Amino acid sequence: MFTTKPSQPQRYHDPDTVPSASAGSAAAPAIVVEGLTKSYGDRHVLKGLSFDVAPQEIFGILGPNGVGKTTSVEIVQGLRNRDSGTIRLLGLEPARDRAKLRRVLGAQLQSSALPDRLRVREALRLFARLAGDVVDWRELRDTWDLTRLERSAFGSLSGGERQRLFVALALVNRPQIVFLDELTQGLDPAARRETWRLVRRVREQGATVVLVTHYMDEAEQLCDRVGVLHDGRLSACDTPEGLIAGVGDGVRVRFSYASSADLTGLEAIPDVRRVAHDGTRVEIVAEPHAVVPIAAELGRRDINPDDFTVVRPTLEDVFVSLTTGGSR
Amino acid sequence: MSALTLAGTEARLLTREWAAMVFAFAFPPLFMLVLAGVFGNEDDMGGTGVSGTDYYIAGYIGIPMGALALVGLPVMLASYRERDVLRRFEAFGVPTSRVVAAQALVTAVLIVLAAGLVVATAAPIYGIPPIEDVGGVIAGFVAGTITMISLGVVLGLAVPTARAAQALGLLVFMPMWLLGGGGPPPEVMSDAMQSISDVLPLTHATTAIREAWLSGDPVGGHLVALGVWLAVGIVAIAALLRRRDTRA
Repeated sequence: MFTTKPSQPQRYHDPDTVPSASAGSAAAPAIVVEGLTKSYGDRHVLKGLSFDVAPQEIFGILGPNGVGKTTSVEIVQGLRNRDSGTIRLLGLEPARDRAKLRRVLGAQLQSSALPDRLRVREALRLFARLAGDVVDWRELRDTWDLTRLERSAFGSLSGGERQRLFVALALVNRPQIVFLDELTQGLDPAARRETWRLVRRVREQGATVVLVTHYMDEAEQLCDRVGVLHDGRLSACDTPEGLIAGVGDGVRVRFSYASSADLTGLEAIPDVRRVAHDGTRVEIVAEPHAVVPIAAELGRRDINPDDFTVVRPTLEDVFVSLTTGGSR
Repeated sequence: MSALTLAGTEARLLTREWAAMVFAFAFPPLFMLVLAGVFGNEDDMGGTGVSGTDYYIAGYIGIPMGALALVGLPVMLASYRERDVLRRFEAFGVPTSRVVAAQALVTAVLIVLAAGLVVATAAPIYGIPPIEDVGGVIAGFVAGTITMISLGVVLGLAVPTARAAQALGLLVFMPMWLLGGGGPPPEVMSDAMQSISDVLPLTHATTAIREAWLSGDPVGGHLVALGVWLAVGIVAIAALLRRRDTRA
């Protein structure tokens, strides 16, 4: 399992500088991608994408729409051709060892379907049989809450029900690596949380998971590490906490105050960067560890606002910063 | 093994498609009844020396052979491509060629059943002449079915949508059937129509069946012609599958 969590985010554009998922770990990476390039005509989608994923890690790929996330994972799975670059999945080359890899890979594609008239039960049985019946399809049916739907035709399923079925089908060969592309798209919040729980369970059962998503909360909740795909490369790759810490914006302390309150000298508190006033509201930008001293100082001055709020940077801030160059 | 597993599933799914069932099992006999109703009373069909009902026996069999291979199969295949069903199977390690093989197998079974139904419907109404050369009839039927299916696969892999497959399939099937044994005999066609008819695969399939059935004439020439069409179909299928494999 991946345990390396660098304290600072690592941003890079040079494939040679990609941090290893297995740094400090004896286990060889489950996935190694180096210098992947792909163009569609004149459009260069991937310009040297590199990353690796440790065994049993949940690795997230974040990126704006159309940046090449799906192209990347489909090339890695051997479903699309690449222009250049090397890929190893469990030591196998996807284009050459396709048949061997199919036995150890599971995939939930962003865009795919089953015949409309195929029933859930039949789909599970069919794919289980095609996989050599290594998993009891009834177990998957129960795990993924498909029991009440087993007689339903694929065409009658809702978006969330289809996603659950696809994930169940992705696991029907007991894969060692699972690719989940926009897994929770179309699911309601409760269903998303339930799906996250099941993804963690997939990892607990020994699989390595590559998760493509544009939901920041999903990446933050599920992923051990997240790579942000931008301009054909990973512009950052780290733990969610590491990425957030690296955004460098600090925390924002906000509160309202009475006009008689004395707020002079707050800038002098160690690690406070700036204090901005807007009428009777104030915003203090500071290092995270300065929050307690700020609160203590306000208490000492007998300023006890009801709306004292600490706003910390989120993965979304990191994402916006890395993909647009903007800031909060 | 997986092609057979898939074929079993495909066959089961097909039984749930009432439109496909009607197309496979109602359309050919109905078409045959209309055809025989129009030409059945001819004593000497276009100077061929045989009665209308006897002459068109091969044409009846050509209906399911052409319709199911050139319309039903391409629509199924194109719909799978359009809706990314094939991608779902590919991601699971089931190559498109295996799904194609499963659909081709199901179509072949449908053609056999539908052709049997057409002949069974015609027999009590119009009578069925004795078969002079059973082997020739079977050879013509098998070669024709395989060839037409290969061309249907080409259509299904080449067109972008199920709707396009339906339109193009009908566009190919109707003229091919009318010029290839379902319409007027070659003896009454214009030279241009006859030239076109002479190269169409369905013409060779229905002519082989008719000649073996009614006169016992050798069908080798027609089988060779069907073999050439089959080779063309296989090359085109290989190219289309390769294009799909190296797409994007």
